[in-house]
Amino acid sequence: MPNYAELSAQVEPNRRRLAAEDRPRIAVCIDTSSIAVGALETLANIRGAVQAAGLDVDVDQVGGNGMSFANPVVEVAAPGGQRILYQHVKPADAAEFVQAVLVRREASNQWTLGAVGGSADGVPPMSDQPWYALQDRRLMAEMGLADPENVDDYVARGAYSGLARALSMTQEEVIAEVSGSKVGGRGGSFFPVGRKWDFLRTSPTNPKAIVCNADEGDGGAWVNRMTIENDPHALIEGMAIAGYAAGAVRGYIYIREEYPLGFERISKAVEQAEARGIIGPSVLGTETAFDLKVVRGAGSYVCGEESGLIASIEDGRGMPKIRPPFPAASGVYGQGSNVNNVQSYHTAGWVMRHGVEEYVEVGTERNPGTMMFTISGSVSRVGCFELPMGTTVRQLFEVCGGGAPNGHAFKALQPGGPLLGIMPDWSLDLGMEPENFREKGMGSLGGGGFVMLDDHDCIVDLCAQYEWFLEDESCGRCTTCHGGTQRATEILRRIQRGGGRESDIGKIRLLSATLRYSNCFHGQFATTVIANALDWFADEVNEHIHQRRCRAQKCAGLIKYEANRAAASQPEHADAMARANEVCINAVTGASDGACLDCFVCHELLPDVVTIQDRFEANVGPAPELISVQPAER
Amino acid sequence: MFHPATVRIVGIEMTSYWGAVPQTEAVAKVRNLLEGLQPGEGDLLEALHRIQHHFGWVPKEAIPGVAQHLRLPPARVYGAITYYSEFRETPPPETLVSWCSGPSCFLKGGLHIREVLERMTGCALGENTPDNKLGLHLGQCNGTCDNAPQVWVDGKVVGPLTAADTVDLVKKLKEGQRP
Repeated sequence: MPNYAELSAQVEPNRRRLAAEDRPRIAVCIDTSSIAVGALETLANIRGAVQAAGLDVDVDQVGGNGMSFANPVVEVAAPGGQRILYQHVKPADAAEFVQAVLVRREASNQWTLGAVGGSADGVPPMSDQPWYALQDRRLMAEMGLADPENVDDYVARGAYSGLARALSMTQEEVIAEVSGSKVGGRGGSFFPVGRKWDFLRTSPTNPKAIVCNADEGDGGAWVNRMTIENDPHALIEGMAIAGYAAGAVRGYIYIREEYPLGFERISKAVEQAEARGIIGPSVLGTETAFDLKVVRGAGSYVCGEESGLIASIEDGRGMPKIRPPFPAASGVYGQGSNVNNVQSYHTAGWVMRHGVEEYVEVGTERNPGTMMFTISGSVSRVGCFELPMGTTVRQLFEVCGGGAPNGHAFKALQPGGPLLGIMPDWSLDLGMEPENFREKGMGSLGGGGFVMLDDHDCIVDLCAQYEWFLEDESCGRCTTCHGGTQRATEILRRIQRGGGRESDIGKIRLLSATLRYSNCFHGQFATTVIANALDWFADEVNEHIHQRRCRAQKCAGLIKYEANRAAASQPEHADAMARANEVCINAVTGASDGACLDCFVCHELLPDVVTIQDRFEANVGPAPELISVQPAER
Repeated sequence: MFHPATVRIVGIEMTSYWGAVPQTEAVAKVRNLLEGLQPGEGDLLEALHRIQHHFGWVPKEAIPGVAQHLRLPPARVYGAITYYSEFRETPPPETLVSWCSGPSCFLKGGLHIREVLERMTGCALGENTPDNKLGLHLGQCNGTCDNAPQVWVDGKVVGPLTAADTVDLVKKLKEGQRP
């Protein structure tokens, strides 16, 4: 088996191709986000156009670079070292794009986004764009450059040099270096990764296993998908380093079913790394062995909990186990196991590749380094951004995300999935560090998947949706969880229908207190969102209960649609009226003898004609109390 | 690797479970599909994925074969099939529309889309139309939130959608067209 020096000597042709040293190179970013907007067709059409024009140009697929809002993104590199990014290159534009950029040599055109690493051909550098300049792309540095289905590309970019360096050190030295970086579990716990590895190293069990949690179930988060799809070898490298440091020879990557491309790419990457002798019986030509197995989940949110994940790997239902024993003592099939998130391994691998001194250059004293964040919901630029720890949420939201679209105002931040709660506008001024979030009563910073809400979003509506989701995904072991989430959903749904009662607040508090006795995080934190809503959005919740009014006009039972028939007959609405008649659910399905179904379709098409009104008169007082049981104070 | 932990979990002599496996064509096919999978290696989900990929669903008669191959009690295999939302026990519809349940889609009007889907097909999430042409499925966020709100038609992202777009989409799908 080759050692690292031999391995990197073999990939010289890949290095030349990636750097476009011999001929220009067009690279189309292909990942799940860009495929959704037709990047595969763009790639095929560009290939066709290059061939038709008889150009001597390499056309490659590369991983995505996180700029979801700009997809499909295409990079054109020239032998002089210029690298220019183009955005929104739609499949239909491909032929014209090739003509403009490669034949007519017009670098500045309708698709131009910016030049990477300094201006080129009159195109201003990417760093002129504030959302790009604010980022410190370290983990994401290799994303969007190389083909994730080709291991040699990544070796040419320096992958596995961190593993080679780790293998030249002792286990204790590796753990000391990772601990020195203070990198915390990036799944949301922020438990020091180095210390966790050391637990496994000193655990008396044998054999040991390294487990990667790639079951990123939190809605609105795709940071792990970024790594798996666009830099799979960084994950393999991080896991192999963990395996060496902790004395484990077996690794499992548990990836969720919803990432089919990620599964395909990580499987291929593992296969290729084995074929190159990077992992396997002899890691990079040393005595160390490390095998990796990719396990594909099948759609279960609770498998993202570490013991649920282990149960799922062990041939069965992914129900979280009762602890102790903890995974380090008895994990996958009784092997002592270390479970970390994808980004934890990625970050630890980065530390080993570049050294802890470089890692701690950015970030804060207690949380050095960077973290990847995805932002979605009410933002103008949806995407994945890498920022130093401690950057404020405001900078992420306003600079990277471009603020709320259509003149809306920021209302709330929902960081990291339904279990982590919701925070009002002062959250914008928090530095993104777990300690800052814990001070405010949040569990932690979360896994980096931030969802933004604006003033047109209803907190109660979101709570009901999350509670329903958590009920649906409860594994069913603990009565507190499966019964509690069900009860919470019922109460919220009733409030949304206009049946809110004074006692509901107490009931929800009681549920929150009771759910704490559940076995795993899923139950323990299931009502966090509602508890936060009661604390920080009390006005809005009370308005729903007492005045039966939804200020955002979202709760279906509290609003009604009213058509202004006179306005509807105005000629300027004729087209929209025709379209509304065409898509009216009533007309289409022939349901409910012509009575309006309140289905929203016509309001969407004719917002001025079909308006949303409060269903109930203002200030009606609380709805009649049916059950007068008040829960005891806790 | 046959790990002792597996035996501990099951706790009884297991061969008695697998006495009478009906020898049909499907069972023989399942045996082929399971090639290379090992007991005690975390291969159950992979086995079920392969079977579902081949048949489109996991037929009941595949259970004994999987159980025997992986040295698991059949109840454990059945438990896994019913636990995970992606495994289906009945044949899939010709076109499967997955509705994204993620927060970004929700905030941008995902519920209206769901309502249109359910009203126009007459099915709830997880059900198929009686002619099995169209089925609805609860999808989990895959992080293509720049296209929110969205649905996936046989795995292909369609979005961003308005409620009116969804009406058109379902009409098209009912006529057998593709988005």
